[in-house]
Amino acid sequence: MLLNFARDQEKAVILWLKNFILTMQEFFLFSVRAFIAIPKIKRYWRDVLDQATICGTDSIPIVLVSAISIGSLLAIEVGNLLEDFGAKTMLGRSTSLSVIRELGPLLMGLMLSARFGSRNGAELGAMQISEQIDALRAFGTDPVAKLVMPRLLAALIMFFPLTALSDFAGLHSAAYMAEHYHRLDPGIFWNAVYPRLAPKDFVVGFLKAPVFAIIITLVSSFNGFSARGGTAGVGRSTIKGIVVSSGLVLIANFYVSKIVLENM
Amino acid sequence: MIELRNVSLKYGDKEILNNVSLTVRDNTIKAILGPSGVGKSTILKLMLGLIKPNSGKVIVDGTDITNMKEASLYSIRRKMGMVFQGNALFDSLTISQNLGFFLRENMKLPEQEIERRVSEQIQFAGLEGYEDQLPESLSGGMRRRVAIGRALIFKPHMILFDEPTAGLDPVSSKKILSLISSLRHNNNLGAVIVTHIIDDVFHVADCVAVLYQGKIIFDDVTDKLNHSQHPFIRSILSDKILEL
Repeated sequence: MLLNFARDQEKAVILWLKNFILTMQEFFLFSVRAFIAIPKIKRYWRDVLDQATICGTDSIPIVLVSAISIGSLLAIEVGNLLEDFGAKTMLGRSTSLSVIRELGPLLMGLMLSARFGSRNGAELGAMQISEQIDALRAFGTDPVAKLVMPRLLAALIMFFPLTALSDFAGLHSAAYMAEHYHRLDPGIFWNAVYPRLAPKDFVVGFLKAPVFAIIITLVSSFNGFSARGGTAGVGRSTIKGIVVSSGLVLIANFYVSKIVLENM
Repeated sequence: MIELRNVSLKYGDKEILNNVSLTVRDNTIKAILGPSGVGKSTILKLMLGLIKPNSGKVIVDGTDITNMKEASLYSIRRKMGMVFQGNALFDSLTISQNLGFFLRENMKLPEQEIERRVSEQIQFAGLEGYEDQLPESLSGGMRRRVAIGRALIFKPHMILFDEPTAGLDPVSSKKILSLISSLRHNNNLGAVIVTHIIDDVFHVADCVAVLYQGKIIFDDVTDKLNHSQHPFIRSILSDKILEL
Protein backbone atom coordinates (compact mmCIF):
# COMPACT_ATOMS: atom_id res chain seq x y z
CA MET A 1 0.00 0.00 0.00
CA LEU A 2 2.85 2.37 0.91
CA LEU A 3 4.60 1.42 -2.31
CA ASN A 4 1.47 2.23 -4.33
CA PHE A 5 1.20 5.58 -2.57
CA ALA A 6 4.84 6.35 -3.39
CA ARG A 7 4.29 5.38 -7.03
CA ASP A 8 1.18 7.61 -7.25
CA GLN A 9 3.13 10.51 -5.76
CA GLU A 10 5.97 9.96 -8.21
CA LYS A 11 3.51 9.93 -11.13
CA ALA A 12 1.88 13.12 -9.85
CA VAL A 13 5.25 14.87 -9.56
CA ILE A 14 6.28 13.75 -13.06
CA LEU A 15 2.94 14.94 -14.48
CA TRP A 16 3.29 18.28 -12.68
CA LEU A 17 6.82 18.71 -14.01
CA LYS A 18 5.72 17.80 -17.53
CA ASN A 19 2.86 20.31 -17.40
CA PHE A 20 5.15 22.96 -15.95
CA ILE A 21 7.71 22.52 -18.74
CA LEU A 22 4.94 22.57 -21.38
CA THR A 23 3.47 25.76 -19.89
CA MET A 24 6.91 27.40 -19.84
CA GLN A 25 7.43 26.43 -23.47
CA GLU A 26 4.02 27.85 -24.43
CA PHE A 27 4.74 31.03 -22.47
CA PHE A 28 8.08 31.45 -24.21
CA LEU A 29 6.52 31.05 -27.67
CA PHE A 30 3.67 33.39 -26.71
CA SER A 31 6.20 36.03 -25.59
CA VAL A 32 8.23 35.66 -28.79
CA ARG A 33 5.05 36.09 -30.86
CA ALA A 34 4.20 39.28 -28.93
CA PHE A 35 7.64 40.77 -29.59
CA ILE A 36 7.68 39.67 -33.24
CA ALA A 37 4.34 41.46 -33.71
CA ILE A 38 5.77 44.85 -32.64
CA PRO A 39 6.52 45.92 -36.27
CA LYS A 40 2.73 45.71 -36.86
CA ILE A 41 2.35 48.87 -34.75
CA LYS A 42 1.35 50.85 -37.85
CA ARG A 43 -1.74 48.69 -38.18
CA TYR A 44 -2.62 48.66 -34.47
CA TRP A 45 -1.57 52.15 -33.35
CA ARG A 46 -5.11 52.94 -32.19
CA ASP A 47 -5.05 49.87 -29.93
CA VAL A 48 -1.64 50.95 -28.59
CA LEU A 49 -3.05 54.41 -27.78
CA ASP A 50 -6.10 52.88 -26.04
CA GLN A 51 -3.88 50.63 -23.96
CA ALA A 52 -1.52 53.53 -23.19
CA THR A 53 -4.47 55.41 -21.75
CA ILE A 54 -5.52 52.40 -19.67
CA CYS A 55 -2.10 51.51 -18.29
CA GLY A 56 -0.71 55.05 -18.27
CA THR A 57 -3.12 57.93 -17.77
CA ASP A 58 -5.73 55.91 -15.87
CA SER A 59 -3.05 54.51 -13.53
CA ILE A 60 -1.78 57.92 -12.40
CA PRO A 61 -4.02 58.16 -9.28
CA ILE A 62 -2.99 54.77 -7.85
CA VAL A 63 0.70 55.40 -8.62
CA LEU A 64 0.51 58.83 -6.94
CA VAL A 65 -1.27 57.49 -3.85
CA SER A 66 1.25 54.67 -3.35
CA ALA A 67 4.28 56.93 -4.03
CA ILE A 68 3.09 59.71 -1.71
CA SER A 69 2.29 57.30 1.12
CA ILE A 70 5.61 55.45 0.89
CA GLY A 71 7.63 58.69 0.51
CA SER A 72 5.94 60.21 3.57
CA LEU A 73 6.31 57.09 5.70
CA LEU A 74 9.93 56.65 4.68
CA ALA A 75 10.76 60.25 5.62
CA ILE A 76 9.10 59.87 9.03
CA GLU A 77 10.67 56.50 9.93
CA VAL A 78 14.16 57.11 8.49
CA GLY A 79 14.17 60.64 9.95
CA ASN A 80 13.43 59.20 13.43
CA LEU A 81 16.28 56.72 13.05
CA LEU A 82 18.77 59.31 11.76
CA GLU A 83 17.83 61.67 14.59
CA ASP A 84 19.16 59.10 17.07
CA PHE A 85 22.54 59.33 15.37
CA GLY A 86 22.42 63.08 14.90
CA ALA A 87 22.42 62.63 11.15
CA LYS A 88 19.01 64.04 10.23
CA THR A 89 20.63 66.17 7.50
CA MET A 90 21.21 62.91 5.59
CA LEU A 91 17.44 62.31 5.33
CA GLY A 92 17.34 63.57 1.74
CA ARG A 93 20.13 61.24 0.72
CA SER A 94 18.65 58.10 2.26
CA THR A 95 15.05 58.68 1.16
CA SER A 96 16.03 59.65 -2.39
CA LEU A 97 18.10 56.49 -2.81
CA SER A 98 15.31 54.28 -1.44
CA VAL A 99 12.63 55.94 -3.55
CA ILE A 100 14.52 56.23 -6.84
CA ARG A 101 16.32 52.89 -6.77
CA GLU A 102 13.83 50.62 -5.03
CA LEU A 103 10.51 51.67 -3.62
CA GLY A 104 9.31 54.00 -6.37
CA PRO A 105 9.60 51.45 -9.20
CA LEU A 106 8.68 48.47 -7.00
CA LEU A 107 5.46 49.95 -5.63
CA MET A 108 4.53 51.18 -9.08
CA GLY A 109 5.17 47.66 -10.43
CA LEU A 110 3.03 46.02 -7.77
CA MET A 111 0.20 48.53 -8.20
CA LEU A 112 0.25 48.10 -11.99
CA SER A 113 0.37 44.34 -11.62
CA ALA A 114 -2.85 44.58 -9.62
CA ARG A 115 -4.48 47.20 -11.82
CA PHE A 116 -3.28 46.63 -15.38
CA GLY A 117 -2.50 42.92 -14.94
CA SER A 118 -5.90 42.09 -13.47
CA ARG A 119 -7.65 44.00 -16.25
CA ASN A 120 -5.67 42.12 -18.91
CA GLY A 121 -6.31 38.74 -17.28
CA ALA A 122 -10.04 39.30 -16.83
CA GLU A 123 -10.64 40.90 -20.23
CA LEU A 124 -8.64 38.39 -22.26
CA GLY A 125 -9.94 35.49 -20.14
CA ALA A 126 -13.54 36.53 -20.84
CA MET A 127 -12.71 36.82 -24.54
CA GLN A 128 -11.16 33.34 -24.48
CA ILE A 129 -14.15 31.78 -22.71
CA SER A 130 -16.66 33.40 -25.08
CA GLU A 131 -14.65 32.20 -28.12
CA GLN A 132 -13.85 35.78 -29.21
CA ILE A 133 -10.16 34.90 -29.45
CA ASP A 134 -11.02 31.84 -31.55
CA ALA A 135 -13.18 34.11 -33.71
CA LEU A 136 -10.20 36.40 -34.33
CA ARG A 137 -8.12 33.42 -35.42
CA ALA A 138 -10.96 31.96 -37.47
CA PHE A 139 -11.39 35.17 -39.44
CA GLY A 140 -7.70 35.56 -40.12
CA THR A 141 -6.51 37.98 -37.42
CA ASP A 142 -3.53 37.18 -35.22
CA PRO A 143 -4.93 37.58 -31.68
CA VAL A 144 -1.47 38.07 -30.17
CA ALA A 145 -0.74 40.95 -32.56
CA LYS A 146 -4.18 42.48 -32.05
CA LEU A 147 -4.56 42.01 -28.28
CA VAL A 148 -1.17 41.42 -26.65
CA MET A 149 1.33 43.48 -28.67
CA PRO A 150 -0.52 46.81 -28.08
CA ARG A 151 -0.64 46.06 -24.34
CA LEU A 152 3.05 45.22 -24.28
CA LEU A 153 4.10 48.26 -26.26
CA ALA A 154 1.87 50.60 -24.26
CA ALA A 155 3.29 49.27 -21.00
CA LEU A 156 6.88 49.53 -22.29
CA ILE A 157 6.28 53.18 -23.19
CA MET A 158 4.11 54.27 -20.25
CA PHE A 159 5.96 52.61 -17.38
CA PHE A 160 8.86 55.08 -17.84
CA PRO A 161 6.84 58.26 -17.16
CA LEU A 162 4.95 56.44 -14.40
CA THR A 163 8.27 55.56 -12.75
CA ALA A 164 9.39 59.18 -13.06
CA LEU A 165 6.07 60.33 -11.59
CA SER A 166 6.35 57.83 -8.76
CA ASP A 167 9.89 59.04 -7.97
CA PHE A 168 8.84 62.68 -8.16
CA ALA A 169 5.79 62.23 -5.92
CA GLY A 170 7.69 60.01 -3.47
CA LEU A 171 10.58 62.48 -3.14
CA HIS A 172 8.37 65.54 -2.78
CA SER A 173 6.16 63.90 -0.17
CA ALA A 174 9.35 62.93 1.70
CA ALA A 175 10.58 66.55 1.45
CA TYR A 176 7.21 67.79 2.72
CA MET A 177 7.39 65.45 5.73
CA ALA A 178 11.02 66.37 6.36
CA GLU A 179 10.04 70.03 6.56
CA HIS A 180 6.77 69.72 8.50
CA TYR A 181 7.37 66.66 10.67
CA HIS A 182 11.12 66.72 11.29
CA ARG A 183 11.43 70.52 10.96
CA LEU A 184 14.29 70.09 8.49
CA ASP A 185 15.07 73.01 6.21
CA PRO A 186 14.07 72.16 2.57
CA GLY A 187 17.43 73.47 1.37
CA ILE A 188 19.25 70.94 3.55
CA PHE A 189 16.95 68.13 2.37
CA TRP A 190 17.35 68.85 -1.36
CA ASN A 191 21.05 69.55 -0.97
CA ALA A 192 21.44 66.00 0.30
CA VAL A 193 19.45 64.69 -2.68
CA TYR A 194 20.69 66.17 -5.94
CA PRO A 195 24.47 66.46 -5.74
CA ARG A 196 24.80 62.94 -4.41
CA LEU A 197 22.63 61.06 -6.87
CA ALA A 198 24.77 59.11 -9.35
CA PRO A 199 23.69 57.97 -12.86
CA LYS A 200 23.61 54.35 -11.65
CA ASP A 201 20.85 55.27 -9.16
CA PHE A 202 18.62 56.34 -12.05
CA VAL A 203 19.69 53.37 -14.21
CA VAL A 204 18.67 50.94 -11.44
CA GLY A 205 15.27 52.60 -11.04
CA PHE A 206 14.43 53.18 -14.66
CA LEU A 207 15.69 49.82 -15.92
CA LYS A 208 13.02 48.22 -13.79
CA ALA A 209 10.25 49.95 -15.76
CA PRO A 210 10.62 47.91 -19.00
CA VAL A 211 11.37 44.72 -17.05
CA PHE A 212 8.15 45.10 -15.02
CA ALA A 213 6.20 46.09 -18.15
CA ILE A 214 7.25 42.85 -19.89
CA ILE A 215 6.56 40.67 -16.85
CA ILE A 216 3.16 42.16 -15.99
CA THR A 217 1.81 42.31 -19.55
CA LEU A 218 2.98 38.94 -20.77
CA VAL A 219 2.14 36.96 -17.63
CA SER A 220 -1.36 38.45 -17.27
CA SER A 221 -2.13 38.17 -21.00
CA PHE A 222 -0.85 34.58 -21.19
CA ASN A 223 -3.05 33.62 -18.25
CA GLY A 224 -6.02 35.32 -19.91
CA PHE A 225 -5.40 33.38 -23.13
CA SER A 226 -5.14 30.15 -21.10
CA ALA A 227 -8.47 30.64 -19.27
CA ARG A 228 -10.67 27.53 -19.27
CA GLY A 229 -13.85 26.54 -17.45
CA GLY A 230 -16.35 29.40 -17.59
CA THR A 231 -16.48 32.44 -15.34
CA ALA A 232 -14.75 30.60 -12.49
CA GLY A 233 -11.92 29.87 -14.93
CA VAL A 234 -11.63 33.59 -15.74
CA GLY A 235 -11.37 34.31 -12.01
CA ARG A 236 -8.70 31.64 -11.56
CA SER A 237 -6.63 32.85 -14.50
CA THR A 238 -6.87 36.48 -13.36
CA ILE A 239 -5.72 35.64 -9.82
CA LYS A 240 -2.93 33.45 -11.17
CA GLY A 241 -1.79 36.29 -13.43
CA ILE A 242 -1.63 38.79 -10.55
CA VAL A 243 0.06 36.40 -8.11
CA VAL A 244 2.70 35.20 -10.59
CA SER A 245 3.45 38.65 -12.02
CA SER A 246 3.68 40.24 -8.53
CA GLY A 247 6.05 37.49 -7.41
CA LEU A 248 8.17 37.91 -10.53
CA VAL A 249 8.21 41.71 -10.08
CA LEU A 250 9.63 41.25 -6.57
CA ILE A 251 12.27 38.80 -7.79
CA ALA A 252 13.19 40.95 -10.81
CA ASN A 253 13.44 44.03 -8.56
CA PHE A 254 16.13 42.30 -6.51
CA TYR A 255 18.13 41.01 -9.48
CA VAL A 256 18.03 44.26 -11.50
CA SER A 257 19.36 46.17 -8.46
CA LYS A 258 22.00 43.53 -7.81
CA ILE A 259 23.23 43.30 -11.40
CA VAL A 260 23.34 47.07 -12.05
CA LEU A 261 24.91 48.01 -8.69
CA GLU A 262 27.56 45.30 -9.03
CA ASN A 263 28.47 46.33 -12.58
CA MET A 264 28.31 50.13 -12.57
CA MET B 1 -13.79 21.80 -50.97
CA ILE B 2 -12.75 20.64 -47.50
CA GLU B 3 -11.44 17.16 -46.86
CA LEU B 4 -10.58 15.31 -43.68
CA ARG B 5 -8.46 12.24 -44.42
CA ASN B 6 -8.12 9.58 -41.70
CA VAL B 7 -8.09 12.18 -38.96
CA SER B 8 -7.59 11.05 -35.36
CA LEU B 9 -7.52 13.31 -32.34
CA LYS B 10 -7.02 12.74 -28.63
CA TYR B 11 -7.35 15.11 -25.68
CA GLY B 12 -5.09 13.53 -23.08
CA ASP B 13 -6.21 9.91 -22.84
CA LYS B 14 -9.65 10.64 -24.26
CA GLU B 15 -10.09 9.70 -27.91
CA ILE B 16 -12.26 12.32 -29.66
CA LEU B 17 -11.97 11.33 -33.33
CA ASN B 18 -10.89 7.95 -34.62
CA ASN B 19 -9.81 7.75 -38.26
CA VAL B 20 -12.45 10.16 -39.51
CA SER B 21 -12.68 10.85 -43.24
CA LEU B 22 -15.09 13.43 -44.55
CA THR B 23 -15.54 15.55 -47.67
CA VAL B 24 -17.49 18.78 -47.97
CA ARG B 25 -17.98 19.84 -51.59
CA ASP B 26 -18.51 23.40 -52.81
CA ASN B 27 -22.11 24.58 -53.21
CA THR B 28 -23.54 21.87 -50.98
CA ILE B 29 -24.79 22.01 -47.42
CA LYS B 30 -23.42 19.19 -45.34
CA ALA B 31 -24.61 18.45 -41.83
CA ILE B 32 -22.55 16.70 -39.20
CA LEU B 33 -24.98 15.08 -36.81
CA GLY B 34 -24.13 13.58 -33.46
CA PRO B 35 -24.80 13.70 -29.75
CA SER B 36 -23.43 16.53 -27.58
CA GLY B 37 -19.75 16.22 -26.72
CA VAL B 38 -18.95 13.71 -29.46
CA GLY B 39 -16.46 16.00 -31.25
CA LYS B 40 -18.60 17.74 -33.87
CA SER B 41 -17.35 21.24 -33.05
CA THR B 42 -13.83 19.82 -32.99
CA ILE B 43 -14.27 18.89 -36.68
CA LEU B 44 -15.06 22.54 -37.51
CA LYS B 45 -12.00 23.71 -35.59
CA LEU B 46 -9.89 21.16 -37.50
CA MET B 47 -11.27 22.47 -40.80
CA LEU B 48 -10.17 25.98 -39.83
CA GLY B 49 -6.80 24.81 -38.57
CA LEU B 50 -7.61 26.13 -35.08
CA ILE B 51 -6.48 22.77 -33.71
CA LYS B 52 -4.23 20.14 -35.22
CA PRO B 53 -5.00 16.41 -35.46
CA ASN B 54 -2.74 13.75 -33.94
CA SER B 55 -2.77 11.97 -37.28
CA GLY B 56 -4.38 12.30 -40.69
CA LYS B 57 -4.72 15.26 -43.03
CA VAL B 58 -6.94 18.30 -43.40
CA ILE B 59 -7.11 19.61 -46.96
CA VAL B 60 -8.79 22.89 -47.95
CA ASP B 61 -9.17 23.63 -51.68
CA GLY B 62 -6.35 21.19 -52.45
CA THR B 63 -3.95 22.69 -49.86
CA ASP B 64 -2.83 20.51 -46.99
CA ILE B 65 -3.25 22.72 -43.91
CA THR B 66 -2.49 20.02 -41.32
CA ASN B 67 0.92 21.28 -40.31
CA MET B 68 0.68 24.77 -41.73
CA LYS B 69 2.02 27.60 -39.59
CA GLU B 70 -0.51 29.95 -37.97
CA ALA B 71 0.58 32.93 -40.09
CA SER B 72 0.06 30.98 -43.35
CA LEU B 73 -3.33 29.74 -42.18
CA TYR B 74 -4.88 33.20 -42.00
CA SER B 75 -5.29 33.50 -45.77
CA ILE B 76 -6.89 30.00 -45.90
CA ARG B 77 -9.28 30.86 -43.08
CA ARG B 78 -10.47 33.96 -44.89
CA LYS B 79 -11.97 31.66 -47.54
CA MET B 80 -14.32 30.34 -44.87
CA GLY B 81 -16.76 31.97 -42.50
CA MET B 82 -17.50 30.58 -39.09
CA VAL B 83 -20.59 31.00 -36.94
CA PHE B 84 -19.71 30.00 -33.38
CA GLN B 85 -22.17 28.29 -31.06
CA GLY B 86 -22.02 31.20 -28.62
CA ASN B 87 -21.82 33.67 -31.55
CA ALA B 88 -18.44 35.05 -30.31
CA LEU B 89 -19.49 38.62 -31.08
CA PHE B 90 -17.26 41.36 -29.69
CA ASP B 91 -19.34 42.57 -26.78
CA SER B 92 -17.81 46.04 -26.61
CA LEU B 93 -18.55 46.79 -30.27
CA THR B 94 -21.88 47.79 -31.82
CA ILE B 95 -23.63 45.55 -34.36
CA SER B 96 -22.27 47.62 -37.27
CA GLN B 97 -18.76 47.56 -35.84
CA ASN B 98 -19.00 43.79 -35.29
CA LEU B 99 -20.09 43.27 -38.89
CA GLY B 100 -17.37 45.50 -40.31
CA PHE B 101 -14.63 44.47 -37.87
CA PHE B 102 -12.84 41.87 -39.97
CA LEU B 103 -13.25 43.83 -43.20
CA ARG B 104 -11.44 46.75 -41.57
CA GLU B 105 -8.97 44.39 -39.95
CA ASN B 106 -7.99 42.15 -42.82
CA MET B 107 -9.07 43.61 -46.15
CA LYS B 108 -7.82 46.82 -47.63
CA LEU B 109 -11.24 48.01 -48.75
CA PRO B 110 -12.33 51.64 -48.98
CA GLU B 111 -14.51 52.70 -46.03
CA GLN B 112 -17.41 53.33 -48.44
CA GLU B 113 -17.32 49.70 -49.62
CA ILE B 114 -17.15 48.45 -46.02
CA GLU B 115 -20.19 50.54 -45.10
CA ARG B 116 -22.04 49.27 -48.16
CA ARG B 117 -21.34 45.65 -47.22
CA VAL B 118 -22.32 46.26 -43.60
CA SER B 119 -25.67 47.77 -44.54
CA GLU B 120 -26.21 44.87 -47.00
CA GLN B 121 -25.74 42.38 -44.16
CA ILE B 122 -27.92 44.44 -41.79
CA GLN B 123 -30.67 44.25 -44.39
CA PHE B 124 -30.09 40.55 -45.13
CA ALA B 125 -30.26 39.69 -41.43
CA GLY B 126 -33.31 41.91 -40.88
CA LEU B 127 -31.57 44.05 -38.28
CA GLU B 128 -32.43 47.54 -39.54
CA GLY B 129 -32.59 49.97 -36.63
CA TYR B 130 -30.23 47.90 -34.46
CA GLU B 131 -26.98 49.05 -36.09
CA ASP B 132 -25.77 51.05 -33.11
CA GLN B 133 -26.86 48.63 -30.39
CA LEU B 134 -24.46 46.42 -28.45
CA PRO B 135 -24.87 42.63 -28.84
CA GLU B 136 -26.06 42.26 -25.22
CA SER B 137 -29.22 44.24 -26.01
CA LEU B 138 -30.31 41.84 -28.78
CA SER B 139 -32.24 38.56 -28.51
CA GLY B 140 -30.49 35.21 -29.03
CA GLY B 141 -31.90 34.87 -32.56
CA MET B 142 -30.79 38.39 -33.52
CA ARG B 143 -27.29 37.80 -32.17
CA ARG B 144 -27.09 34.59 -34.24
CA ARG B 145 -28.11 36.54 -37.33
CA VAL B 146 -25.38 39.11 -36.64
CA ALA B 147 -22.88 36.26 -36.31
CA ILE B 148 -24.06 34.86 -39.66
CA GLY B 149 -23.80 38.33 -41.22
CA ARG B 150 -20.27 38.71 -39.88
CA ALA B 151 -19.29 35.39 -41.46
CA LEU B 152 -20.94 36.27 -44.78
CA ILE B 153 -19.56 39.76 -45.15
CA PHE B 154 -16.24 38.33 -46.37
CA LYS B 155 -18.05 36.61 -49.25
CA PRO B 156 -16.50 33.24 -48.31
CA HIS B 157 -16.76 30.04 -50.39
CA MET B 158 -17.74 27.97 -47.39
CA ILE B 159 -19.46 28.79 -44.14
CA LEU B 160 -19.23 26.68 -40.99
CA PHE B 161 -22.09 26.67 -38.48
CA ASP B 162 -21.62 25.35 -34.97
CA GLU B 163 -25.06 24.36 -33.64
CA PRO B 164 -26.86 27.22 -35.44
CA THR B 165 -30.21 26.70 -33.71
CA ALA B 166 -29.02 25.60 -30.26
CA GLY B 167 -30.61 27.62 -27.46
CA LEU B 168 -33.06 29.41 -29.74
CA ASP B 169 -36.86 29.42 -29.53
CA PRO B 170 -38.73 27.61 -32.35
CA VAL B 171 -39.55 30.83 -34.24
CA SER B 172 -35.94 32.06 -34.16
CA SER B 173 -34.69 28.57 -35.12
CA LYS B 174 -36.99 28.58 -38.14
CA LYS B 175 -35.73 32.03 -39.18
CA ILE B 176 -32.10 30.93 -38.88
CA LEU B 177 -32.73 27.76 -40.91
CA SER B 178 -34.50 29.76 -43.62
CA LEU B 179 -31.57 32.15 -43.64
CA ILE B 180 -29.15 29.24 -44.09
CA SER B 181 -31.29 27.73 -46.86
CA SER B 182 -31.38 31.04 -48.68
CA LEU B 183 -27.58 31.35 -48.60
CA ARG B 184 -27.01 28.72 -51.25
CA HIS B 185 -29.54 30.22 -53.63
CA ASN B 186 -28.39 33.81 -53.11
CA ASN B 187 -24.65 33.39 -52.68
CA ASN B 188 -23.76 30.01 -54.18
CA LEU B 189 -22.15 29.01 -50.90
CA GLY B 190 -21.12 25.70 -49.45
CA ALA B 191 -21.84 25.11 -45.77
CA VAL B 192 -21.07 22.72 -42.94
CA ILE B 193 -23.62 22.55 -40.16
CA VAL B 194 -22.82 20.83 -36.93
CA THR B 195 -25.96 19.96 -35.03
CA HIS B 196 -27.60 17.52 -32.65
CA ILE B 197 -31.10 18.38 -33.89
CA ILE B 198 -32.18 15.99 -36.63
CA ASP B 199 -34.99 18.23 -37.93
CA ASP B 200 -32.36 20.87 -38.78
CA VAL B 201 -30.61 18.30 -40.95
CA PHE B 202 -33.73 17.45 -42.94
CA HIS B 203 -34.59 21.15 -43.19
CA VAL B 204 -31.38 22.43 -44.79
CA ALA B 205 -28.77 19.75 -45.51
CA ASP B 206 -28.08 18.12 -48.90
CA CYS B 207 -25.99 15.42 -47.28
CA VAL B 208 -25.20 14.33 -43.76
CA ALA B 209 -22.45 12.58 -41.84
CA VAL B 210 -23.31 10.97 -38.51
CA LEU B 211 -20.60 11.01 -35.87
CA TYR B 212 -20.88 8.43 -33.13
CA GLN B 213 -18.21 7.39 -30.62
CA GLY B 214 -15.50 9.20 -32.58
CA LYS B 215 -16.34 7.52 -35.91
CA ILE B 216 -18.40 8.43 -38.95
CA ILE B 217 -21.13 5.77 -39.13
CA PHE B 218 -23.08 7.33 -42.01
CA ASP B 219 -22.05 9.68 -44.81
CA ASP B 220 -24.46 10.13 -47.70
CA VAL B 221 -27.27 12.27 -49.07
CA THR B 222 -29.81 13.29 -46.44
CA ASP B 223 -32.71 11.34 -47.99
CA LYS B 224 -30.86 8.06 -47.49
CA LEU B 225 -30.58 8.63 -43.73
CA ASN B 226 -34.14 7.34 -43.29
CA HIS B 227 -33.14 4.02 -44.84
CA SER B 228 -30.12 3.40 -42.63
CA GLN B 229 -30.38 0.32 -40.47
CA HIS B 230 -27.67 1.33 -37.99
CA PRO B 231 -29.19 0.98 -34.49
CA PHE B 232 -27.93 4.40 -33.37
CA ILE B 233 -29.39 6.12 -36.44
CA ARG B 234 -32.69 4.27 -35.98
CA SER B 235 -32.80 5.51 -32.39
CA ILE B 236 -32.08 9.13 -33.29
CA LEU B 237 -34.66 9.04 -36.06
CA SER B 238 -37.27 8.10 -33.52
CA ASP B 239 -36.10 10.53 -30.80
CA LYS B 240 -35.44 13.49 -33.15
CA ILE B 241 -33.14 15.30 -30.67
CA LEU B 242 -29.93 13.78 -29.41
CA GLU B 243 -29.27 14.20 -25.75
CA LEU B 244 -26.59 12.14 -24.10
